[in-house]
Amino acid sequence: MKKILDTGNAACALAVKAARVDFVAAYPITPQTSVVEKLAGYIAEGKMNAKYLPVESEHSAMSAVAAAAAAGARVFTATSSQGLLYMHEILHYAAGGRLSLVMANVNRAVCAPWCLYVDHQDAVSQRDTGWIQLFAASTQEIYDSIILAYKVTEKIHIPVIVNYDGFLLSHSMMPFETVDQDIIDEFLPPFEPAWRLHPQWGGTFGNVTPAENYAPFRHSLAADIRKAGEVIEKIAREFEKLTGHWHGGLFDAYRTEDAEFFLLSMGSMASEMELAVDILRDKGIPAASIRLRVFRPFPAEELSRLLPDGARLLVFDRNYAFGTEGGVLLAESKAALFNRKDDIKVVGRAVGLGGEDLPADFLAEKAREMMEVLK
Amino acid sequence: MLEIRIHGRGGQGVVTLAELVAKTALKSGWEVQTMPFFGVERRGAAVKAAVRLDSRPIRARSLSYRPDMLVLMHENLLDTGIKDGISDDAEIVANASRPLPFNKIQWLVDASAIAIKNNLVSSGEPFINVAMSGAVCRALEIPFSHLEKTISEQWDGKKALANIEAAREAYEAVRRIEGGLCK
Repeated sequence: MKKILDTGNAACALAVKAARVDFVAAYPITPQTSVVEKLAGYIAEGKMNAKYLPVESEHSAMSAVAAAAAAGARVFTATSSQGLLYMHEILHYAAGGRLSLVMANVNRAVCAPWCLYVDHQDAVSQRDTGWIQLFAASTQEIYDSIILAYKVTEKIHIPVIVNYDGFLLSHSMMPFETVDQDIIDEFLPPFEPAWRLHPQWGGTFGNVTPAENYAPFRHSLAADIRKAGEVIEKIAREFEKLTGHWHGGLFDAYRTEDAEFFLLSMGSMASEMELAVDILRDKGIPAASIRLRVFRPFPAEELSRLLPDGARLLVFDRNYAFGTEGGVLLAESKAALFNRKDDIKVVGRAVGLGGEDLPADFLAEKAREMMEVLK
Repeated sequence: MLEIRIHGRGGQGVVTLAELVAKTALKSGWEVQTMPFFGVERRGAAVKAAVRLDSRPIRARSLSYRPDMLVLMHENLLDTGIKDGISDDAEIVANASRPLPFNKIQWLVDASAIAIKNNLVSSGEPFINVAMSGAVCRALEIPFSHLEKTISEQWDGKKALANIEAAREAYEAVRRIEGGLCK
Protein backbone atom coordinates (compact mmCIF):
# COMPACT_ATOMS: atom_id res chain seq x y z
CA MET A 1 0.00 0.00 0.00
CA LYS A 2 1.32 3.40 -0.94
CA LYS A 3 -0.20 6.75 -0.02
CA ILE A 4 -0.03 9.36 -2.77
CA LEU A 5 -1.47 12.80 -3.41
CA ASP A 6 -3.04 13.19 -6.82
CA THR A 7 -6.22 14.04 -8.68
CA GLY A 8 -9.36 11.93 -9.02
CA ASN A 9 -8.58 11.37 -12.68
CA ALA A 10 -5.10 10.11 -11.75
CA ALA A 11 -6.62 7.76 -9.15
CA CYS A 12 -9.01 6.45 -11.79
CA ALA A 13 -6.23 5.79 -14.31
CA LEU A 14 -4.07 4.05 -11.68
CA ALA A 15 -6.97 1.77 -10.74
CA VAL A 16 -7.60 0.88 -14.40
CA LYS A 17 -3.90 0.02 -14.77
CA ALA A 18 -3.96 -2.05 -11.56
CA ALA A 19 -7.05 -3.92 -12.82
CA ARG A 20 -4.93 -5.16 -15.76
CA VAL A 21 -7.34 -3.89 -18.38
CA ASP A 22 -6.68 -5.33 -21.87
CA PHE A 23 -8.36 -2.73 -24.05
CA VAL A 24 -9.16 0.99 -23.87
CA ALA A 25 -11.06 3.03 -26.46
CA ALA A 26 -11.92 6.63 -25.70
CA TYR A 27 -12.53 10.11 -26.99
CA PRO A 28 -11.32 13.03 -24.87
CA ILE A 29 -13.76 15.50 -23.31
CA THR A 30 -13.44 17.98 -20.42
CA PRO A 31 -13.19 17.11 -17.51
CA GLN A 32 -12.48 13.43 -18.32
CA THR A 33 -9.47 14.14 -20.59
CA SER A 34 -6.58 13.47 -18.21
CA VAL A 35 -7.86 9.94 -17.42
CA VAL A 36 -7.46 8.79 -21.01
CA GLU A 37 -4.27 10.82 -21.48
CA LYS A 38 -2.71 8.99 -18.56
CA LEU A 39 -3.88 5.59 -19.83
CA ALA A 40 -2.55 6.33 -23.33
CA GLY A 41 0.74 7.27 -21.65
CA TYR A 42 0.94 4.07 -19.56
CA ILE A 43 0.28 1.96 -22.66
CA ALA A 44 2.77 3.87 -24.84
CA GLU A 45 5.47 3.55 -22.15
CA GLY A 46 4.83 -0.17 -21.77
CA LYS A 47 3.67 0.24 -18.14
CA MET A 48 0.32 -1.26 -19.05
CA ASN A 49 -0.10 -4.26 -21.33
CA ALA A 50 -3.18 -3.13 -23.24
CA LYS A 51 -4.32 -1.90 -26.62
CA TYR A 52 -5.43 1.73 -26.89
CA LEU A 53 -7.78 2.54 -29.73
CA PRO A 54 -8.16 6.26 -30.44
CA VAL A 55 -11.59 6.75 -32.01
CA GLU A 56 -13.39 9.67 -33.63
CA SER A 57 -16.38 9.78 -31.26
CA GLU A 58 -17.90 8.44 -28.06
CA HIS A 59 -20.39 6.40 -30.06
CA SER A 60 -17.42 4.57 -31.58
CA ALA A 61 -15.62 4.36 -28.22
CA MET A 62 -18.57 2.54 -26.65
CA SER A 63 -19.03 0.37 -29.76
CA ALA A 64 -15.36 -0.63 -29.66
CA VAL A 65 -15.25 -1.51 -25.96
CA ALA A 66 -18.56 -3.38 -26.20
CA ALA A 67 -17.19 -5.45 -29.09
CA ALA A 68 -13.91 -6.11 -27.29
CA ALA A 69 -15.83 -7.14 -24.15
CA ALA A 70 -17.90 -9.54 -26.26
CA ALA A 71 -14.62 -11.06 -27.44
CA GLY A 72 -13.60 -11.61 -23.80
CA ALA A 73 -11.30 -8.66 -23.15
CA ARG A 74 -11.31 -6.67 -19.89
CA VAL A 75 -12.17 -3.20 -21.19
CA PHE A 76 -12.40 0.41 -20.07
CA THR A 77 -13.60 3.74 -21.36
CA ALA A 78 -14.31 7.12 -19.80
CA THR A 79 -16.38 10.11 -20.76
CA SER A 80 -18.43 13.09 -19.55
CA SER A 81 -21.60 15.00 -20.38
CA GLN A 82 -22.29 15.18 -24.14
CA GLY A 83 -19.92 12.25 -24.66
CA LEU A 84 -22.06 10.03 -22.44
CA LEU A 85 -25.20 11.25 -24.20
CA TYR A 86 -23.65 10.37 -27.55
CA MET A 87 -22.99 6.81 -26.28
CA HIS A 88 -26.59 6.36 -25.21
CA GLU A 89 -27.65 4.03 -28.03
CA ILE A 90 -24.75 1.63 -27.42
CA LEU A 91 -25.27 1.72 -23.64
CA HIS A 92 -28.49 -0.19 -24.25
CA TYR A 93 -26.63 -2.65 -26.49
CA ALA A 94 -23.94 -3.28 -23.87
CA ALA A 95 -26.40 -3.93 -21.06
CA GLY A 96 -28.81 -5.94 -23.21
CA GLY A 97 -25.86 -7.99 -24.49
CA ARG A 98 -24.97 -8.75 -20.85
CA LEU A 99 -21.42 -7.52 -21.42
CA SER A 100 -18.89 -7.06 -18.63
CA LEU A 101 -17.72 -3.49 -18.99
CA VAL A 102 -16.55 -0.63 -16.78
CA MET A 103 -16.78 3.05 -17.66
CA ALA A 104 -15.87 6.16 -15.68
CA ASN A 105 -18.22 9.10 -16.13
CA VAL A 106 -16.77 12.36 -14.89
CA ASN A 107 -20.02 14.16 -14.16
CA ARG A 108 -20.62 17.38 -16.05
CA ALA A 109 -23.69 19.43 -16.93
CA VAL A 110 -25.26 18.89 -20.35
CA CYS A 111 -25.92 21.45 -23.09
CA ALA A 112 -27.64 23.86 -23.56
CA PRO A 113 -26.46 26.29 -22.36
CA TRP A 114 -22.92 25.01 -22.80
CA CYS A 115 -21.28 24.37 -19.42
CA LEU A 116 -18.09 22.62 -18.31
CA TYR A 117 -18.89 22.16 -14.63
CA VAL A 118 -20.45 19.47 -12.51
CA ASP A 119 -23.97 18.25 -12.21
CA HIS A 120 -25.54 14.80 -12.54
CA GLN A 121 -27.83 15.32 -15.53
CA ASP A 122 -25.51 13.25 -17.75
CA ALA A 123 -25.66 10.21 -15.44
CA VAL A 124 -29.33 10.31 -14.52
CA SER A 125 -30.22 10.60 -18.22
CA GLN A 126 -28.81 7.03 -18.59
CA ARG A 127 -30.97 5.74 -15.75
CA ASP A 128 -32.95 3.24 -17.83
CA THR A 129 -30.18 1.84 -20.02
CA GLY A 130 -29.67 -1.21 -17.78
CA TRP A 131 -26.28 -0.17 -16.39
CA ILE A 132 -25.28 -0.26 -12.73
CA GLN A 133 -24.27 3.23 -11.57
CA LEU A 134 -22.00 3.99 -8.63
CA PHE A 135 -21.19 7.47 -7.27
CA ALA A 136 -17.89 8.26 -5.51
CA ALA A 137 -17.22 11.13 -3.10
CA SER A 138 -13.42 11.02 -2.70
CA THR A 139 -10.26 10.17 -4.64
CA GLN A 140 -9.87 6.98 -2.59
CA GLU A 141 -13.41 5.95 -3.40
CA ILE A 142 -12.82 6.52 -7.13
CA TYR A 143 -9.79 4.23 -7.01
CA ASP A 144 -11.54 1.52 -5.00
CA SER A 145 -14.82 1.75 -6.96
CA ILE A 146 -13.11 1.12 -10.31
CA ILE A 147 -11.56 -2.10 -9.00
CA LEU A 148 -14.79 -3.15 -7.30
CA ALA A 149 -16.72 -2.42 -10.52
CA TYR A 150 -14.68 -4.99 -12.47
CA LYS A 151 -15.40 -7.67 -9.87
CA VAL A 152 -19.13 -6.83 -9.99
CA THR A 153 -19.49 -6.66 -13.77
CA GLU A 154 -17.59 -9.89 -14.33
CA LYS A 155 -19.70 -11.70 -11.75
CA ILE A 156 -23.15 -10.65 -12.92
CA HIS A 157 -22.58 -9.64 -16.57
CA ILE A 158 -24.06 -6.16 -16.25
CA PRO A 159 -21.96 -3.12 -17.21
CA VAL A 160 -21.02 -0.55 -14.54
CA ILE A 161 -20.58 3.23 -14.63
CA VAL A 162 -18.39 4.74 -11.90
CA ASN A 163 -19.49 8.37 -11.57
CA TYR A 164 -17.44 11.13 -9.99
CA ASP A 165 -17.89 14.89 -10.04
CA GLY A 166 -16.07 16.97 -12.62
CA PHE A 167 -13.34 19.26 -11.23
CA LEU A 168 -14.40 18.92 -7.57
CA LEU A 169 -13.17 15.30 -7.63
CA SER A 170 -11.52 14.90 -11.05
CA HIS A 171 -9.09 17.82 -10.68
CA SER A 172 -8.91 18.32 -6.92
CA MET A 173 -5.98 16.54 -5.25
CA MET A 174 -6.56 14.38 -2.19
CA PRO A 175 -4.40 11.68 -0.62
CA PHE A 176 -5.28 8.09 -1.45
CA GLU A 177 -3.75 4.71 -0.84
CA THR A 178 -3.05 2.46 -3.79
CA VAL A 179 -3.45 -1.28 -3.25
CA ASP A 180 -0.52 -3.66 -3.82
CA GLN A 181 -0.69 -5.45 -7.16
CA ASP A 182 -0.68 -8.96 -5.62
CA ILE A 183 -3.76 -8.09 -3.54
CA ILE A 184 -5.57 -6.74 -6.59
CA ASP A 185 -4.60 -9.82 -8.59
CA GLU A 186 -6.04 -12.01 -5.85
CA PHE A 187 -9.25 -9.97 -5.73
CA LEU A 188 -9.54 -9.71 -9.49
CA PRO A 189 -8.29 -12.85 -11.28
CA PRO A 190 -8.09 -12.83 -15.12
CA PHE A 191 -11.46 -12.37 -16.83
CA GLU A 192 -12.98 -15.64 -18.04
CA PRO A 193 -16.35 -14.89 -19.65
CA ALA A 194 -18.96 -17.64 -19.96
CA TRP A 195 -19.28 -16.93 -23.68
CA ARG A 196 -17.12 -14.94 -26.06
CA LEU A 197 -17.10 -14.05 -29.73
CA HIS A 198 -14.59 -16.28 -31.46
CA PRO A 199 -14.04 -17.25 -35.12
CA GLN A 200 -14.11 -20.94 -34.17
CA TRP A 201 -17.37 -20.62 -32.29
CA GLY A 202 -19.30 -18.56 -34.83
CA GLY A 203 -22.05 -17.29 -32.51
CA THR A 204 -23.47 -13.79 -32.23
CA PHE A 205 -24.55 -11.39 -29.50
CA GLY A 206 -27.80 -9.45 -29.73
CA ASN A 207 -29.23 -11.02 -32.87
CA VAL A 208 -32.74 -10.29 -34.18
CA THR A 209 -35.31 -11.89 -31.85
CA PRO A 210 -39.07 -12.23 -31.77
CA ALA A 211 -40.95 -11.32 -28.60
CA GLU A 212 -40.85 -14.86 -27.19
CA ASN A 213 -37.05 -14.64 -27.02
CA TYR A 214 -36.75 -10.89 -26.47
CA ALA A 215 -39.07 -10.56 -23.48
CA PRO A 216 -37.35 -13.21 -21.29
CA PHE A 217 -33.99 -11.48 -21.91
CA ARG A 218 -35.37 -8.15 -20.73
CA HIS A 219 -37.17 -9.67 -17.73
CA SER A 220 -34.01 -11.45 -16.61
CA LEU A 221 -31.92 -8.28 -17.03
CA ALA A 222 -34.44 -6.38 -14.89
CA ALA A 223 -34.43 -9.08 -12.21
CA ASP A 224 -30.63 -9.36 -12.15
CA ILE A 225 -30.14 -5.60 -11.77
CA ARG A 226 -32.55 -5.64 -8.83
CA LYS A 227 -30.36 -8.27 -7.17
CA ALA A 228 -27.11 -6.43 -7.93
CA GLY A 229 -27.22 -4.31 -4.76
CA GLU A 230 -26.64 -7.36 -2.60
CA VAL A 231 -23.72 -8.43 -4.82
CA ILE A 232 -22.13 -4.96 -4.65
CA GLU A 233 -22.35 -4.90 -0.87
CA LYS A 234 -20.85 -8.38 -0.54
CA ILE A 235 -17.97 -7.56 -2.88
CA ALA A 236 -17.32 -4.28 -1.05
CA ARG A 237 -16.99 -6.32 2.19
CA GLU A 238 -14.58 -8.70 0.47
CA PHE A 239 -12.49 -5.73 -0.73
CA GLU A 240 -12.52 -4.29 2.78
CA LYS A 241 -11.15 -7.55 4.20
CA LEU A 242 -8.21 -7.41 1.80
CA THR A 243 -7.47 -3.68 1.96
CA GLY A 244 -9.19 -2.12 4.97
CA HIS A 245 -10.89 0.33 2.59
CA TRP A 246 -14.59 0.86 3.30
CA HIS A 247 -16.87 3.61 2.03
CA GLY A 248 -20.23 2.21 3.10
CA GLY A 249 -22.46 -0.37 1.42
CA LEU A 250 -25.27 1.00 -0.76
CA PHE A 251 -25.37 4.07 1.49
CA ASP A 252 -22.87 5.85 3.67
CA ALA A 253 -24.81 7.22 6.65
CA TYR A 254 -23.61 9.94 9.05
CA ARG A 255 -24.96 10.90 12.52
CA THR A 256 -28.18 8.92 12.10
CA GLU A 257 -28.52 8.31 15.87
CA ASP A 258 -31.74 9.99 17.12
CA ALA A 259 -32.03 11.80 13.80
CA GLU A 260 -35.33 13.18 12.57
CA PHE A 261 -34.18 14.92 9.37
CA PHE A 262 -32.28 12.83 6.81
CA LEU A 263 -30.40 14.72 4.08
CA LEU A 264 -30.08 12.50 1.01
CA SER A 265 -27.57 13.27 -1.76
CA MET A 266 -24.82 11.70 -3.86
CA GLY A 267 -21.34 12.54 -5.17
CA SER A 268 -19.03 15.21 -3.76
CA MET A 269 -22.00 17.18 -2.36
CA ALA A 270 -22.68 14.30 0.03
CA SER A 271 -19.22 14.66 1.60
CA GLU A 272 -19.76 18.38 2.21
CA MET A 273 -23.24 17.44 3.52
CA GLU A 274 -21.61 15.94 6.64
CA LEU A 275 -20.32 19.43 7.48
CA ALA A 276 -23.83 20.80 6.91
CA VAL A 277 -25.17 18.17 9.33
CA ASP A 278 -22.60 19.31 11.90
CA ILE A 279 -23.83 22.91 11.50
CA LEU A 280 -27.46 21.80 11.98
CA ARG A 281 -26.61 19.58 14.96
CA ASP A 282 -24.77 22.50 16.60
CA LYS A 283 -28.06 24.41 16.39
CA GLY A 284 -29.88 21.53 18.08
CA ILE A 285 -31.50 20.17 14.91
CA PRO A 286 -31.40 16.34 14.80
CA ALA A 287 -30.06 15.99 11.24
CA ALA A 288 -28.24 13.12 9.50
CA SER A 289 -26.65 12.65 6.07
CA ILE A 290 -27.39 9.70 3.82
CA ARG A 291 -24.95 9.43 0.93
CA LEU A 292 -26.25 7.29 -1.90
CA ARG A 293 -23.35 5.27 -3.34
CA VAL A 294 -25.38 3.06 -5.65
CA PHE A 295 -27.82 4.97 -7.85
CA ARG A 296 -28.63 1.97 -10.03
CA PRO A 297 -30.07 -0.37 -8.78
CA PHE A 298 -31.85 2.17 -6.58
CA PRO A 299 -31.73 0.71 -3.04
CA ALA A 300 -35.38 1.38 -2.21
CA GLU A 301 -35.80 -1.18 0.58
CA GLU A 302 -32.51 -0.21 2.23
CA LEU A 303 -33.52 3.47 2.12
CA SER A 304 -36.80 2.66 3.83
CA ARG A 305 -34.98 0.60 6.46
CA LEU A 306 -32.66 3.52 7.27
CA LEU A 307 -35.57 5.87 7.95
CA PRO A 308 -37.39 5.50 11.29
CA ASP A 309 -41.14 6.09 11.73
CA GLY A 310 -42.10 9.68 11.03
CA ALA A 311 -38.71 10.55 9.52
CA ARG A 312 -38.32 13.68 7.39
CA LEU A 313 -36.35 13.01 4.20
CA LEU A 314 -34.75 16.05 2.53
CA VAL A 315 -33.57 15.19 -0.98
CA PHE A 316 -30.79 17.19 -2.68
CA ASP A 317 -30.75 16.50 -6.41
CA ARG A 318 -27.98 17.74 -8.69
CA ASN A 319 -30.26 17.12 -11.70
CA TYR A 320 -33.82 17.51 -12.90
CA ALA A 321 -36.40 14.89 -13.81
CA PHE A 322 -38.14 17.37 -16.10
CA GLY A 323 -41.90 17.29 -15.94
CA THR A 324 -41.90 16.11 -12.32
CA GLU A 325 -41.71 18.29 -9.21
CA GLY A 326 -37.91 18.04 -8.94
CA GLY A 327 -34.95 15.74 -9.47
CA VAL A 328 -34.62 12.01 -10.05
CA LEU A 329 -33.70 11.13 -6.45
CA LEU A 330 -36.83 12.87 -5.19
CA ALA A 331 -39.07 10.82 -7.50
CA GLU A 332 -37.21 7.60 -6.69
CA SER A 333 -37.35 8.24 -2.94
CA LYS A 334 -41.07 8.92 -2.99
CA ALA A 335 -41.68 5.73 -4.95
CA ALA A 336 -39.47 3.80 -2.53
CA LEU A 337 -41.47 5.02 0.49
CA PHE A 338 -44.95 4.87 -1.05
CA ASN A 339 -46.02 1.82 0.93
CA ARG A 340 -45.01 3.24 4.32
CA LYS A 341 -47.92 3.47 6.76
CA ASP A 342 -46.30 6.01 9.14
CA ASP A 343 -46.34 9.78 8.55
CA ILE A 344 -42.92 9.88 6.87
CA LYS A 345 -42.51 13.00 4.71
CA VAL A 346 -40.30 13.73 1.70
CA VAL A 347 -39.29 17.06 0.16
CA GLY A 348 -36.62 17.92 -2.40
CA ARG A 349 -34.66 20.65 -4.14
CA ALA A 350 -32.46 20.75 -7.24
CA VAL A 351 -29.16 22.41 -6.31
CA GLY A 352 -25.63 22.65 -7.64
CA LEU A 353 -26.58 22.69 -11.31
CA GLY A 354 -23.80 23.57 -13.76
CA GLY A 355 -21.24 23.65 -10.97
CA GLU A 356 -23.11 25.99 -8.60
CA ASP A 357 -20.85 25.71 -5.57
CA LEU A 358 -22.32 23.96 -2.52
CA PRO A 359 -20.50 24.98 0.67
CA ALA A 360 -21.81 23.51 3.94
CA ASP A 361 -23.50 26.70 5.17
CA PHE A 362 -25.47 26.92 1.90
CA LEU A 363 -26.55 23.28 2.20
CA ALA A 364 -27.57 23.78 5.84
CA GLU A 365 -29.63 26.83 4.81
CA LYS A 366 -31.34 24.82 2.03
CA ALA A 367 -32.10 22.08 4.55
CA ARG A 368 -33.74 24.61 6.86
CA GLU A 369 -35.87 25.94 3.99
CA MET A 370 -37.05 22.39 3.28
CA MET A 371 -37.82 21.83 6.97
CA GLU A 372 -40.06 24.92 6.86
CA VAL A 373 -41.96 23.46 3.90
CA LEU A 374 -42.61 20.28 5.90
CA LYS A 375 -43.97 22.14 8.94
CA MET B 1 -8.69 23.54 9.28
CA LEU B 2 -6.32 25.96 7.61
CA GLU B 3 -7.31 27.29 4.20
CA ILE B 4 -4.86 28.92 1.79
CA ARG B 5 -6.10 30.73 -1.32
CA ILE B 6 -3.68 31.50 -4.11
CA HIS B 7 -4.35 34.23 -6.68
CA GLY B 8 -2.39 34.58 -9.89
CA ARG B 9 -2.72 34.77 -13.63
CA GLY B 10 -3.01 31.96 -16.17
CA GLY B 11 0.53 30.76 -16.97
CA GLN B 12 2.04 31.62 -13.56
CA GLY B 13 1.70 28.06 -12.27
CA VAL B 14 -0.92 28.61 -9.59
CA VAL B 15 -2.17 25.00 -9.74
CA THR B 16 1.40 23.66 -9.50
CA LEU B 17 2.09 25.95 -6.54
CA ALA B 18 -0.99 24.52 -4.78
CA GLU B 19 0.28 21.03 -5.55
CA LEU B 20 3.80 21.74 -4.20
CA VAL B 21 2.43 23.20 -0.96
CA ALA B 22 -0.05 20.31 -0.50
CA LYS B 23 2.56 17.62 -1.19
CA THR B 24 4.98 19.24 1.24
CA ALA B 25 2.33 19.65 3.94
CA LEU B 26 1.37 15.97 3.50
CA LYS B 27 5.01 15.05 4.23
CA SER B 28 4.77 17.16 7.37
CA GLY B 29 1.84 15.14 8.71
CA TRP B 30 -1.14 17.21 7.55
CA GLU B 31 -4.25 15.91 5.84
CA VAL B 32 -4.42 17.95 2.62
CA GLN B 33 -6.55 18.85 -0.36
CA THR B 34 -6.07 21.11 -3.37
CA MET B 35 -9.12 22.72 -4.92
CA PRO B 36 -8.41 24.55 -8.17
CA PHE B 37 -10.98 27.07 -9.38
CA PHE B 38 -11.29 26.56 -13.11
CA GLY B 39 -12.56 29.57 -14.93
CA VAL B 40 -11.62 30.55 -18.42
CA GLU B 41 -8.28 28.84 -18.95
CA ARG B 42 -6.02 31.21 -20.81
CA ARG B 43 -2.75 33.00 -20.31
CA GLY B 44 -3.08 36.24 -18.38
CA ALA B 45 -6.60 35.70 -17.01
CA ALA B 46 -6.97 35.98 -13.21
CA VAL B 47 -6.95 32.43 -11.74
CA LYS B 48 -7.04 30.98 -8.24
CA ALA B 49 -6.58 27.73 -6.36
CA ALA B 50 -7.01 26.68 -2.76
CA VAL B 51 -5.11 24.33 -0.45
CA ARG B 52 -6.75 22.94 2.67
CA LEU B 53 -4.74 21.56 5.59
CA ASP B 54 -6.25 19.78 8.56
CA SER B 55 -5.40 17.32 11.30
CA ARG B 56 -8.26 15.00 10.17
CA PRO B 57 -9.48 13.82 6.77
CA ILE B 58 -10.98 16.71 4.80
CA ARG B 59 -14.67 16.42 3.93
CA ALA B 60 -15.12 19.85 2.30
CA ARG B 61 -15.80 19.70 -1.45
CA SER B 62 -16.45 23.38 -2.09
CA LEU B 63 -14.40 26.38 -3.08
CA SER B 64 -12.54 28.61 -0.62
CA TYR B 65 -14.52 31.58 0.74
CA ARG B 66 -12.84 32.50 4.03
CA PRO B 67 -9.14 31.64 3.71
CA ASP B 68 -6.72 31.94 6.61
CA MET B 69 -3.85 32.72 4.27
CA LEU B 70 -3.85 34.63 0.99
CA VAL B 71 -1.06 34.06 -1.54
CA LEU B 72 -0.58 36.73 -4.18
CA MET B 73 1.55 36.09 -7.26
CA HIS B 74 1.69 39.80 -8.14
CA GLU B 75 0.63 43.20 -6.80
CA ASN B 76 -1.30 43.87 -10.02
CA LEU B 77 -3.95 41.40 -8.81
CA LEU B 78 -5.14 43.77 -6.09
CA ASP B 79 -8.20 44.89 -8.09
CA THR B 80 -9.40 41.38 -9.03
CA GLY B 81 -11.52 40.62 -5.96
CA ILE B 82 -8.74 38.87 -4.07
CA LYS B 83 -9.87 40.32 -0.75
CA ASP B 84 -13.29 38.60 -0.85
CA GLY B 85 -13.83 36.81 2.45
CA ILE B 86 -10.44 37.83 3.82
CA SER B 87 -10.57 38.64 7.53
CA ASP B 88 -8.11 41.10 9.11
CA ASP B 89 -6.37 38.15 10.77
CA ALA B 90 -5.56 36.36 7.51
CA GLU B 91 -1.86 36.30 6.72
CA ILE B 92 -0.71 37.49 3.31
CA VAL B 93 2.17 35.95 1.35
CA ALA B 94 3.00 38.11 -1.65
CA ASN B 95 5.44 38.44 -4.49
CA ALA B 96 5.98 42.11 -3.71
CA SER B 97 8.82 44.39 -2.68
CA ARG B 98 6.78 46.79 -0.54
CA PRO B 99 3.99 46.26 2.00
CA LEU B 100 0.43 45.91 0.68
CA PRO B 101 -2.24 48.33 1.82
CA PHE B 102 -4.23 45.81 3.88
CA ASN B 103 -3.88 43.26 6.69
CA LYS B 104 -1.39 43.23 9.50
CA ILE B 105 0.73 40.18 8.93
CA GLN B 106 2.47 40.03 5.56
CA TRP B 107 5.21 37.79 4.21
CA LEU B 108 6.92 39.62 1.34
CA VAL B 109 9.40 38.22 -1.15
CA ASP B 110 10.67 39.35 -4.56
CA ALA B 111 9.95 36.00 -6.21
CA SER B 112 10.33 37.42 -9.72
CA ALA B 113 13.94 38.50 -9.03
CA ILE B 114 14.75 35.11 -7.46
CA ALA B 115 13.30 33.26 -10.47
CA ILE B 116 15.27 35.41 -12.94
CA LYS B 117 18.47 34.97 -10.92
CA ASN B 118 18.04 31.18 -11.13
CA ASN B 119 17.29 31.31 -14.85
CA LEU B 120 13.71 30.08 -14.37
CA VAL B 121 12.42 32.11 -17.29
CA SER B 122 10.44 31.24 -20.40
CA SER B 123 9.44 33.63 -23.21
CA GLY B 124 10.66 36.51 -21.06
CA GLU B 125 8.37 35.60 -18.10
CA PRO B 126 9.86 34.38 -14.82
CA PHE B 127 8.46 31.16 -13.30
CA ILE B 128 7.70 32.42 -9.81
CA ASN B 129 5.60 29.57 -8.46
CA VAL B 130 8.47 27.49 -7.04
CA ALA B 131 10.01 30.53 -5.32
CA MET B 132 6.56 31.28 -3.90
CA SER B 133 6.34 27.72 -2.55
CA GLY B 134 9.45 28.51 -0.48
CA ALA B 135 7.80 31.61 0.97
CA VAL B 136 4.51 29.81 1.72
CA CYS B 137 6.24 26.86 3.41
CA ARG B 138 8.21 29.28 5.56
CA ALA B 139 5.01 31.08 6.57
CA LEU B 140 3.45 27.70 7.43
CA GLU B 141 6.54 26.76 9.49
CA ILE B 142 7.13 23.68 7.36
CA PRO B 143 10.80 22.56 7.37
CA PHE B 144 12.58 23.36 4.09
CA SER B 145 13.87 19.77 3.80
CA HIS B 146 10.28 18.59 3.14
CA LEU B 147 9.86 21.11 0.31
CA GLU B 148 13.24 20.14 -1.12
CA LYS B 149 12.07 16.51 -1.24
CA THR B 150 8.81 17.49 -2.96
CA ILE B 151 10.66 19.48 -5.64
CA SER B 152 13.19 16.73 -6.27
CA GLU B 153 10.29 14.29 -6.78
CA GLN B 154 8.55 16.73 -9.15
CA TRP B 155 11.49 17.47 -11.50
CA ASP B 156 14.67 15.72 -12.61
CA GLY B 157 18.33 16.69 -12.59
CA LYS B 158 19.35 20.27 -13.40
CA LYS B 159 15.76 21.50 -13.44
CA ALA B 160 15.22 20.20 -9.91
CA LEU B 161 18.45 21.84 -8.70
CA ALA B 162 17.53 25.30 -10.08
CA ASN B 163 14.05 25.03 -8.57
CA ILE B 164 15.37 23.91 -5.18
CA GLU B 165 17.77 26.85 -5.22
CA ALA B 166 14.96 29.31 -6.01
CA ALA B 167 12.72 27.83 -3.30
CA ARG B 168 15.55 27.93 -0.76
CA GLU B 169 16.38 31.57 -1.55
CA ALA B 170 12.73 32.57 -1.15
CA TYR B 171 12.39 30.49 2.05
CA GLU B 172 15.34 32.39 3.52
CA ALA B 173 14.65 35.83 2.02
CA VAL B 174 10.95 36.17 2.79
CA ARG B 175 10.35 39.01 5.28
CA ARG B 176 7.59 38.88 7.86
CA ILE B 177 6.21 42.32 8.55
CA GLU B 178 3.59 43.09 11.15
CA GLY B 179 1.58 46.31 11.13
CA GLY B 180 4.01 47.90 8.71
CA LEU B 181 7.12 47.02 10.73
CA CYS B 182 9.79 44.74 9.33
CA LYS B 183 10.68 41.84 11.61
